[in-house]
Amino acid sequence: MSPPPHHEVAAYALGLLDPEDHEAFESHLVECVDCQAELRELADVPALLDEIRRRRSPLEGRQG
Amino acid sequence: MDPDGINERDERMIHALYEAFGSRLLHHVRRATGNDHHWAEDVVQETLVRAWRHAGKLNKEPGMLWAWLLTVARRIIIDGRRRRRARPEEVEDTGLETVSVPDESEQTIAAMVVADALERLSAEHREVIEETYLKDRTINEAAEVLRIPPGTVKSRLYYAIRALRKDLKEKGVT
Repeated sequence: MSPPPHHEVAAYALGLLDPEDHEAFESHLVECVDCQAELRELADVPALLDEIRRRRSPLEGRQG
Repeated sequence: MDPDGINERDERMIHALYEAFGSRLLHHVRRATGNDHHWAEDVVQETLVRAWRHAGKLNKEPGMLWAWLLTVARRIIIDGRRRRRARPEEVEDTGLETVSVPDESEQTIAAMVVADALERLSAEHREVIEETYLKDRTINEAAEVLRIPPGTVKSRLYYAIRALRKDLKEKGVT
């Protein structure tokens, strides 16, 4: 099986990969220093996006 | 109480992980759970148990380990959000949801800065972030909605997140 493409690191960091893809990427991550560096870079992005989620009340849905 | 066969020694290891990362992780997780303390505690606990299970293949470099823990916590939170969305009547502690957050104003400013950065992205980049993470959709779910292959969602998301990160960095947010 070919290794997962490097750009999956974003979907991985956001926790959006399906279980099999997640497992596959994690195995790749252990070996790939480039992806490790990129994951460190992107690690704080989900928390920043959560700030937007907090701002949008679930009752109001999308922002106005 | 012991469905996973966790013995006393394992418990001590998990406790050690908790000592090392627990409070920092809780701080991050709390925001993502909408300040639901009980849920946040559960997420931290589950994250550290998973970390212990993966102990053999974990990268011990602190920055890397931290990034990995955040990713694991993120998936647990997303699963929780999906479950809550699917069964809203089973959500507990509804009376606590409006409890005010201590650093509310700081969070509001951050939300505005991030929202502005999102607006500055190209329409395509903004859309892929909206239709995936911000709507609790997996890559495959978003691919169906956007009518593009999952691989395209992943690569588009990658460039979108990088652009967002770069913009926020320039604004001094991260």
